[in-house]
Amino acid sequence: MIEYLKEYFDFKGFLICLALVGIGLLSVYSATYDVGAAASFEKQVIWTGVGFLALLAAAYFPIRALQRIAIPLYVVTIAILVVVLVIGKTISGSKSWFGLAGLGGQPSEFAKVATALALAAFLARTTTSLSNGKHLLTAIGIVLAPMILVIAEPDLGTAVVFFAMMLPVLYWAGASNFVLAAILAPIIAATGALLGTLTFLFTLLIGGALLYFTRENRFAAAVVFALTLAMGLTVQSAYERLQPYQQKRISTFLNPDLDPKGAGYNVLQSKVAIGSGGFFGKGYLQGTQTQLNFIPEQWTDFIFCVPGEEFGFLGASVIVVLFTALLLHGIRIARLSSNKFGSVAAIGIVGIFAVHVLVNIGMSMGLTPVIGIPLPFLSYGGSALAANMASVGLLMNFYANRKEH
Amino acid sequence: MTGDEQFGAARRRRVLMIVVFLIFGILMLRLYELQLLYHGEMNKKSEENSVRAIVQDPIRGYMFDRNGQLIVDVGPSYAITLVPIDFDMKNLDLLSSLLQIDPAALRDRIARARAYSPFLPSRIKRDVDIRTLGAIEEHLTSLRGISYQIESKRVYRTKAHASHLLGYRREISDAQLAQAGEDYRQGDLVGVAGLEARYEPMLRGEKGYKFVSVNAKGQIIGSFEDGKKNLSAREGYDLFLSVDFGLQAYAESLMTEHSGAIVALDPSDGGILALVSKPDYDPSIMSGVTPLDLWSQLQTDSTKPLFNRATLTRYPPGSAFKMVLAAAALQEGIVDENYRIRCTGGFRFGNRVFKDLHVHGSVNIVEAIQRSCNVFFYQLMLKVGFDKWTEYGRRFGFGQLTGTDTGDETWGLLPSGAYYDSRYGKGKWTQGFLISLAIGQGEIGVSPLQMARYAAALANGGIVYQPHAVEFIHNKSTNKMERVRYDSSLVGLSPRVLGLLREGMRRVVQEPGGTGGLARIPGIVSAGKTGTAENPHGEAHAWYVGFAPFDNPKIAVAIMLENSGFGGAKAAPLARLLMERYLFGGLPRIHPKAAPAQTAPVRTISQAVH
Repeated sequence: MIEYLKEYFDFKGFLICLALVGIGLLSVYSATYDVGAAASFEKQVIWTGVGFLALLAAAYFPIRALQRIAIPLYVVTIAILVVVLVIGKTISGSKSWFGLAGLGGQPSEFAKVATALALAAFLARTTTSLSNGKHLLTAIGIVLAPMILVIAEPDLGTAVVFFAMMLPVLYWAGASNFVLAAILAPIIAATGALLGTLTFLFTLLIGGALLYFTRENRFAAAVVFALTLAMGLTVQSAYERLQPYQQKRISTFLNPDLDPKGAGYNVLQSKVAIGSGGFFGKGYLQGTQTQLNFIPEQWTDFIFCVPGEEFGFLGASVIVVLFTALLLHGIRIARLSSNKFGSVAAIGIVGIFAVHVLVNIGMSMGLTPVIGIPLPFLSYGGSALAANMASVGLLMNFYANRKEH
Repeated sequence: MTGDEQFGAARRRRVLMIVVFLIFGILMLRLYELQLLYHGEMNKKSEENSVRAIVQDPIRGYMFDRNGQLIVDVGPSYAITLVPIDFDMKNLDLLSSLLQIDPAALRDRIARARAYSPFLPSRIKRDVDIRTLGAIEEHLTSLRGISYQIESKRVYRTKAHASHLLGYRREISDAQLAQAGEDYRQGDLVGVAGLEARYEPMLRGEKGYKFVSVNAKGQIIGSFEDGKKNLSAREGYDLFLSVDFGLQAYAESLMTEHSGAIVALDPSDGGILALVSKPDYDPSIMSGVTPLDLWSQLQTDSTKPLFNRATLTRYPPGSAFKMVLAAAALQEGIVDENYRIRCTGGFRFGNRVFKDLHVHGSVNIVEAIQRSCNVFFYQLMLKVGFDKWTEYGRRFGFGQLTGTDTGDETWGLLPSGAYYDSRYGKGKWTQGFLISLAIGQGEIGVSPLQMARYAAALANGGIVYQPHAVEFIHNKSTNKMERVRYDSSLVGLSPRVLGLLREGMRRVVQEPGGTGGLARIPGIVSAGKTGTAENPHGEAHAWYVGFAPFDNPKIAVAIMLENSGFGGAKAAPLARLLMERYLFGGLPRIHPKAAPAQTAPVRTISQAVH
């Protein structure tokens, strides 16, 4: 019986998810119990229930049907993103929230998973070949469409997630190193362009080197390099036209001390919270930074400082270890799966989780820019929690069906 | 090496796993760095976060009047505070009945206080009366978390209201707060009108800070570093005003029955002696936090008690403006004192007849001022021309801000050819427009403050001063009295011209046939000019401008009474009482009615004193 269960039920994935959700609830409670205004612990508990239903539904959805509906589902998601862009109500400066039965949902949270599934379904077709230029562009287009829509919201953080999810998926599906270099080089150069001319030249050099060492023919490499140059120059001029709050985020990321009361304030206070936690932490509900509300809206993007401060290095490393285990587990499922759709989709989900974890935990420790993406399972927010739990459900599904061909 | 045969390759899986380990490594390294290596430094920062600065509000600057009397004082006001974590919500109803706040509103205030900080006291009702405070004190033991703090509010030590002059304060708005920065915090009162607004940066002083240590719960556990870092508050600067509050109170009493304004200036420097706008309100109702209902009542009152009629109304000045035209004509040499015209009681221009009140017969310029002959000025205007008239109006300070420190003011309207060109189009207006302007009617607007300045310039030999209420500021940082500097300009009239204008004005009051006889002060020679501003919407507005004593003017006044009729009948008597009160220092005077002043001077107390 147990053997049978082990064969078809992904205990490991499920237990990691359970542990993270539990830590998440503890953290949200600690951050919100004396505030009671914008965030409510009860809502998060209700969403956890919804999340379990989503997890079970995703885990037991017939995999063939899932593969068939992946692309229609993606089209519907794109349509919803368009609707949101047109009529969505504006919360904290971006239009991604969708009034949903009074709870409020963020369709882009689901769009990330739907896009990963659609990309996997497309790549799993026997007729699809990544060495075919048209197919490669189609695959990139599948990611680019929702990415552009969320940029328009404007939600730069989620756009970064779409992009970062695409790279491991294409890589896993067999794209050549040159293709990856060709995608990466313009982005690196564009990022460099934001940070000044000197870094732009440096990143241009890196991009050039990448292209040079992975080149398959010189002409293609030269075209892509020209594109990289053009991209960097465009971004540099586009930066001038960015929203002031976005410019400010970039500049205070470089030097948070510049603005200890404004945009850099969160990062400084968050670092102080985590650092002051020490090895054992200050104890649950005893974190002064957390309990005295030094970090505004801590329960959303800066939730990591709650366990960081109250549970210390011990608790924080447990969280990092759990996430790492989840990512490795996802890669293992991708390897075990003899079903190409499940295998590629699993890598997509791993990619989404990986970016969220790296960027979110990184920003609360002052390593990465404050681009406002939540920490899976921990951050307050119902639709993200449900989408993340559904993603774990999908991994469990791919595990159970790993021998299906 | 291209193609899908690479799908799921073992090498690729290893690369992905390396990426995951890299992420793990980066995050763990940073955790180690922050939580173990830099723990001491971060912990210190976190502890510094648990030092709280308790703001100590400075005492606002006082205001003293011309005679050194303390007029605007500071007194205690009590605010009820609440510490959300200590307060038992079961006591909500009791607290709501004690404070007379609706329970829902109170609940809302407590929620906001909790959002600010659950551990620190927040003000939930300010400026409570002594009975409420007593009731709260009685229940203090059962109402845990409730306390009170002493704040300051304005106390007015004068019988005068002077509401528009002194102004008032309101709770700082969010927009102001965003701009103001460190000097203010939520709930602070900030001057928004009158002297309170204009001198806000001087009056407010500087906040002090008392640093205390708080525990992890935010409760105060003692002073931080024995108070060595505390900053004491600095008192606001005191204002020394040119205003005579005895006169101010008297001027207000004269206006009890009227709607309008009185402005009295010291002609020697433009200092405001009194500035009255009626209807007004008692400033003590706005001395602390103004209750919302009272505020909206003041704002919606149909008599507009908040509106400063002394500086913001722009009515035509009527005949009181005639000295401007006379000054232009004489100074430019267009006419002299020997120029005469015959007044037949009307003046035909084009196909319109402009009327006069009387048939004045042959008049020269001095008599024309004395008897306010319109026909004389109609014809004079056509000789002088629009441009010169506008120029002299401007030299007397019309159509521009006076630069007063008492708050908002109007530019008024002094029309010019260019103005009419832009308003009606070039060539679309006729000389007929000028005829009305000659006697201060039509499209012209002046404020009582501008008129008082004009009267003062005629009194002092042609100097147009910046009218002001503050003479000195007591700088508490240097402990020095600093004189405030004000601008002045010259009208540019020769003594001969000035003499003629003043002679006309003297005759208005002192001679039979003058229109301002009711302004005559027994025992003092004064000068003035009446005006009656036609008002298409109702009864005319009465004007009087004047000064006294004639030879050595100590006071110049402008009086404007809305919808009261003739200036000579209504405004002139008030001017007399006001100037008499000022010149005789409030000593009682007896005027036997039987004896007219100009034929048999009455021995008055003032004469006895002199």
